[in-house]
Amino acid sequence: MSADVTEIRTPFHKFEVGFNIIIGLIAPGTRVLDLGCGSGTLLQRLREEKDVEGCGIELDQEKVIRCIERGIRVMTLDLDEGLEGFPDLSYEYVVLSRTLQQLMNPERLIKEMLRVGSKSIITFPNFGHWKVVFEYVLKGQTPVSETHPHPWYNTPDIHRLTIRDFRAFIQEMGAKIEREIHIINNVPYEGAFWANRRAEWGCCLISAA
Amino acid sequence: MAIGSTKEYADSDGLYGRVNTQYAEFDGITLESGVFLGPLTVAYETYGTLSPELDNAVLILHALSGDAHAAGIDANGRLGWWDAMIGPGKGIDTDKYFVISSNCLGGCKGTTGPCSINLGTEKPFGRSFPLITMGDMVNVQGLLVQHLGIEKLHNVVGGSMGGMQALEWAVRHPDQVRSAVVIAATARLSPQGIAFNWVGRNAIYSDPARVCPDTEAGHVYQKMGRGLAVARMIGHITYLSEETMEAKFGRKLRLKDIDGYSYSLGENGMEGGEFEVESYLQHQGSSFMRRFDEDSYIIITKAIDYFDLEGPRGDLVTAFENISAKMLILSFNSDWLYPTSMSLTMVRALQAAKKHVSFVELDLPYGHDSFLANAGIPSLTRIIRGFLNSVR
Repeated sequence: MSADVTEIRTPFHKFEVGFNIIIGLIAPGTRVLDLGCGSGTLLQRLREEKDVEGCGIELDQEKVIRCIERGIRVMTLDLDEGLEGFPDLSYEYVVLSRTLQQLMNPERLIKEMLRVGSKSIITFPNFGHWKVVFEYVLKGQTPVSETHPHPWYNTPDIHRLTIRDFRAFIQEMGAKIEREIHIINNVPYEGAFWANRRAEWGCCLISAA
Repeated sequence: MAIGSTKEYADSDGLYGRVNTQYAEFDGITLESGVFLGPLTVAYETYGTLSPELDNAVLILHALSGDAHAAGIDANGRLGWWDAMIGPGKGIDTDKYFVISSNCLGGCKGTTGPCSINLGTEKPFGRSFPLITMGDMVNVQGLLVQHLGIEKLHNVVGGSMGGMQALEWAVRHPDQVRSAVVIAATARLSPQGIAFNWVGRNAIYSDPARVCPDTEAGHVYQKMGRGLAVARMIGHITYLSEETMEAKFGRKLRLKDIDGYSYSLGENGMEGGEFEVESYLQHQGSSFMRRFDEDSYIIITKAIDYFDLEGPRGDLVTAFENISAKMLILSFNSDWLYPTSMSLTMVRALQAAKKHVSFVELDLPYGHDSFLANAGIPSLTRIIRGFLNSVR
């Protein structure tokens, strides 16, 4: 009955790793708001593994319906319009996974996340990865890679940021990165050497300082 | 209204089978206006079986022109207005749920309304029927639910005016509803909505019937004009989207044997409608004249006009504070009568009041009436079925 869902987001290549990191960062029995929740895979795992009362936000109709079918609380909202109506600190965690690079105004949404959640978890593809950079420098072309799979002229990934960019940005916002986990060759590392060049993905737990 | 279909309601198959409308009698209620109205009759139908725990009841709330006959086939062979949604294995599964549907207070399909006899005068109430509110309609539904021995409803679900009632249930009877589905509705009727209703009622008031001398209580008068049909035509325009009208009618002409325009208003200048869209509206108006009562139309649209959960202070968050039901708000992106922005106002207020709310905006082109359109049924079925399953 349900149509196929086309994943326009950067595939979280070996997807489980990222989910596992996020789930590992979340304390049991908490409230989690998942921004860009897709068809609710993360929230379902959080419910089953961590007894989490979750809520998802998603714009794609088919994915929203899948969430409802899974019994997951969900809202059709456009993240670029912020989190109006969500009370301050109403969730223990706000998750923004694989979506940061697609927002019109990431700064505004992250401010909203810090307002609504005690802590926020953000994952994003690292444009500083050496393969990406090599392609950029050697070929002189916008790279197409596993983490940035779309050509420049037709991509939802409108921002290309590095792990170092993200750190500076969070500092500038006056927020704090509490934990930083990197996915390197599909394995999670914390405090990895030269992460900005080696990691495909950055996963950060942040809070208002 | 589905594109390419002239059926009034979504495709249905009457899978539930034969149903009979039943009637319950009550002493009456004190209306929000303070007036006592009684005795009351409520026309209702039920589908499915009430569980021994009495915990599987779903109350269906119809829109302005609906009635108690929501599913199955009635004695006249007529299919229920939401038969596509209610039945064995359907979105609201009668194998699982005990489904109740009643005609609203003020209606003309069996429940006490302007057509009912006023015991004081022994004549129909007509326009002397007391003005009522959504809250009054819901209180009467409450009497029925109690009469059926149900303390807590698993779900209340309705579109348009039915959605307003679902909201009323959640706000005013928080202990009696586990969940509510509010489709294409609003927490307060907009001035635009009031304006359309006012034009509709004005069409009725302009009928010659209006000027029939009638000084007696009961306001019995002959219904002569086509005011109700005009009101319905206006209503229908607001229920459809521009896109649907374009797809369904375009600028097509009704008289296919004539090439081009007729350049005539017809015999004696009694124009019958040259464009297909005109003839469609004409048909809708005429069929509505046959099946609806103009005084019910007046009373019900007034109740819709009065609907405003925000109140004069414009504070919806406070209004929603009592809600304990899980809420599902549904809107259609082509609905310009109760647009998504109105649903979003409710969603934000529910979120601000820290209520359990889900919100789905559906991309359907059929305007306000999308919940009755064939093409919307598959999505709505998945959503409502999934939501009902998730409510414990």
